[in-house]
Amino acid sequence: MAKEIYTKYKMAKYLRKEALPTALCPGCGGGTVLNAFANAIDQLGIDPRDLVVVSGIGCSAWIASPYFLADTLHTTHGRAIAYATGVKVGLPDKKVVVISGDGDLAGIGGNHLIHAARRNIDITVILVNNFIYGMTGGQVAPTTPFGAITTTSPYRNVEHPLNIAETVTSAGASYVARWTTFHVYQLIESIKRALSVKGFALVEAISQCPVQFGRRNRMKTPTEMLRWFQRNSVLISKARNMSPNELEGKIVVGELVNREKPEFTEELNSLIEEVSKHYGLGDNNAD
Amino acid sequence: MGWVITMQIRLAGFGGQGVILAGVILGDAAAIEGLNVIQTQDYGSQSRGGHSIADLIISKDPIYDLIVTKADVLLALAQLGYDSTKESLREGGLLIVDTELVQPDREFTGAPFTRIAEEEVGLALTVNMVALGYLVAKTNIVKKESVEEAIRRRVPKGTEEINLKAFRIGYEEGTK
Amino acid sequence: MRYPFPVGTVDFIQGDEAIARAAILAGCRFYAGYPITPASEIFEAMSIYMPLVDGVSIQMEDEIGSIAAVVGASWAGAKSMTATSGPGFSLMMENLGYAIMTETPLVLVNVQRSGPSTGQPTLAAQGDLMQAIWGTHGDHSLIVLAPATVQEAFDMTIKAFNLAEKYRTPVILLTDAEVGHMRERVYAPHPDELELIYRKLPANEEEAKYPFGDIHGDLVPPMPVFGKGHHTYVTGLTHDEKGRPKTVESEIHEKLLKRIVEKIEKNKKDIVDYEGYGLEDAEIVIIGFGIVTRSAMRAVKELRKKGIKAGLLKLNVLWPFDFELIERIAEKAGKIYVVEMNLGQLYHMVKEGANGKVPVELIPKIGGEIHTPKEIIERIKDNLR
Repeated sequence: MAKEIYTKYKMAKYLRKEALPTALCPGCGGGTVLNAFANAIDQLGIDPRDLVVVSGIGCSAWIASPYFLADTLHTTHGRAIAYATGVKVGLPDKKVVVISGDGDLAGIGGNHLIHAARRNIDITVILVNNFIYGMTGGQVAPTTPFGAITTTSPYRNVEHPLNIAETVTSAGASYVARWTTFHVYQLIESIKRALSVKGFALVEAISQCPVQFGRRNRMKTPTEMLRWFQRNSVLISKARNMSPNELEGKIVVGELVNREKPEFTEELNSLIEEVSKHYGLGDNNAD
Repeated sequence: MGWVITMQIRLAGFGGQGVILAGVILGDAAAIEGLNVIQTQDYGSQSRGGHSIADLIISKDPIYDLIVTKADVLLALAQLGYDSTKESLREGGLLIVDTELVQPDREFTGAPFTRIAEEEVGLALTVNMVALGYLVAKTNIVKKESVEEAIRRRVPKGTEEINLKAFRIGYEEGTK
Repeated sequence: MRYPFPVGTVDFIQGDEAIARAAILAGCRFYAGYPITPASEIFEAMSIYMPLVDGVSIQMEDEIGSIAAVVGASWAGAKSMTATSGPGFSLMMENLGYAIMTETPLVLVNVQRSGPSTGQPTLAAQGDLMQAIWGTHGDHSLIVLAPATVQEAFDMTIKAFNLAEKYRTPVILLTDAEVGHMRERVYAPHPDELELIYRKLPANEEEAKYPFGDIHGDLVPPMPVFGKGHHTYVTGLTHDEKGRPKTVESEIHEKLLKRIVEKIEKNKKDIVDYEGYGLEDAEIVIIGFGIVTRSAMRAVKELRKKGIKAGLLKLNVLWPFDFELIERIAEKAGKIYVVEMNLGQLYHMVKEGANGKVPVELIPKIGGEIHTPKEIIERIKDNLR
């Protein structure tokens, strides 16, 4: 039996009640992203029955599954986009959304991310980037800032972080944006655009993990992390006129790209039509 | 050459001579006649120029032996193919060669298939069909008509007639 | 419905081609793959045929992605397949486990080549048997079929789809480079001659609430595929009947896993298939699967000509494994030989089945060549001296 939950939160109708309260730590940015996603769905008037949400492994993957009330496919580590590719090709009329973390989608699953963007398949990816492997205990991620402390870089991180949004832009996505959990309204607007664009769309949501990242990097509380996002964020329009030195350590936010390009499942379907027309199995050429 | 229950046939040449297509067509003809047949191939990793071997086992019984161990018929279209396969021809087996390209060191029959393809058919590429026609005439493994049907099914569209012509010229040569 | 290849007639085609055609006849409409010798011909054939039957064949960035997309498409409602060989098969183990845990019907073809690692890409082997059965981590069960001829590759592909749909499970078609690349005469049935099985869907909204519940008492839950408004909840985590993660409740894990294993084990009679030759009076029984049973058959016939009472047991299904069948044979035979193109994998299962009742001896071969009948005969005759 579903648990009775008393709430005035309007977005609760999009959530699986029996999975609440969420298992996210107090102060986690995951709730903000979940809220932004639910608001985007609500504002666009998308019926959750027309949604399939796919996720991988990690705290951010839980935003989609178990919390979101839709057909949900909670898959293996890093593979969510590859699974989503099969779902989208099978159900081209549905909105297919992937919600997962940086370690999942850009670390172990980085190759799937790049190639899905290259194909420009109509999948919306909400990538929650908290700079860390949170669920497994705060290990260094491909997004961890240079010099940061993690449990597997206890002295300092000697690697450089991957610029996910820029990488996906280069790979050929139709739509790419980056915001932080400080920029809630912008985040909602970008998720709405990502859901409306025909093609591969990525919204990189920089998010706070005060427990596993902030605590070890002089930002113990969620507010300290949000303040860091606020102070360090630079709008892309402004960033274009800044030197690499000036941009060092900054978070470039805004819409990186929004372009029309042929979309993968539409191309597949027009190929089927083309092939049937030219080589089709009409009545006279049975074999 | 009389029919035994099972025939092992090996076709050898170099890549680009169409040896494997000839093998597939011969196998298809056997399948059309309701015979059991398997066809396997062996070739160098290059698509052109390396050795190329097509093996066929055609049988009235179910086929349990999958490897040509003692070939009843060996067709060699190039010295390279002959040298690497001659040991597999059984004692008393039938050796067919392109007489201008292969110098065998045992009893053989054959004709200048490549020259016939160039001069009589007008297309050197059809050497495989000329040789196949010759082989079918000499061995009677399958009916001429079955091979013709297989050729129509297997060669690239638009090349049916020239391939059939090559096969028939080779077949004529084999009946001489 | 018309097909882009001849049906209801014979043709002379490669094993790989036969698998592709049979999959389409079985209703497969989604294929995802990655190029690999000696399985690429399946992918190439699918790429040509699929658009002609309103299906899709796509190339993924690797084999991990291929099987992931196949699982996704299966939940989208399509009969789905991928094919690979050793190196790709290793990569697929992760999501094969996911397919087992989420009870996703799919067909995975492994055209075996010699391993480990890159090994002998063009040559046949049977070294992936244990991996096919036990390759993915954790307790599990699935179905493994093994063809020995191109005709069997064709027929077993159709059977693989039927079993996958009937039991909501991945089915592995374990073939090899020899069957994959050789051409043989094949009868491709007309679709009207085929009995095709499609997955059981929930009869109503109430049934759809239990994607992992044994609500019909047959151990196989109806599959509430995506896009129908069921809000289906699918996860690789241990889950209850509704699909909700239950990761620390031991009794839920036990109940789920036992059902996944039992739906295969308890239907063994329906799934298992084998062919026997001369088993009635055989003193020596050769047991094997796939291509090598053809050499073994010749060996048995030759031995019988020499007055030696030999027999052959050709296993068409390798999992679930019919241990009882092996025991029954062991009770009658004087000796069992296991012929396989590896250093001993089926051997261990046969030994377990024989249960010490009769000596079991291995005739292994590796390196890419099939045992010749002569090699098998000589080994057996040596022991008779």
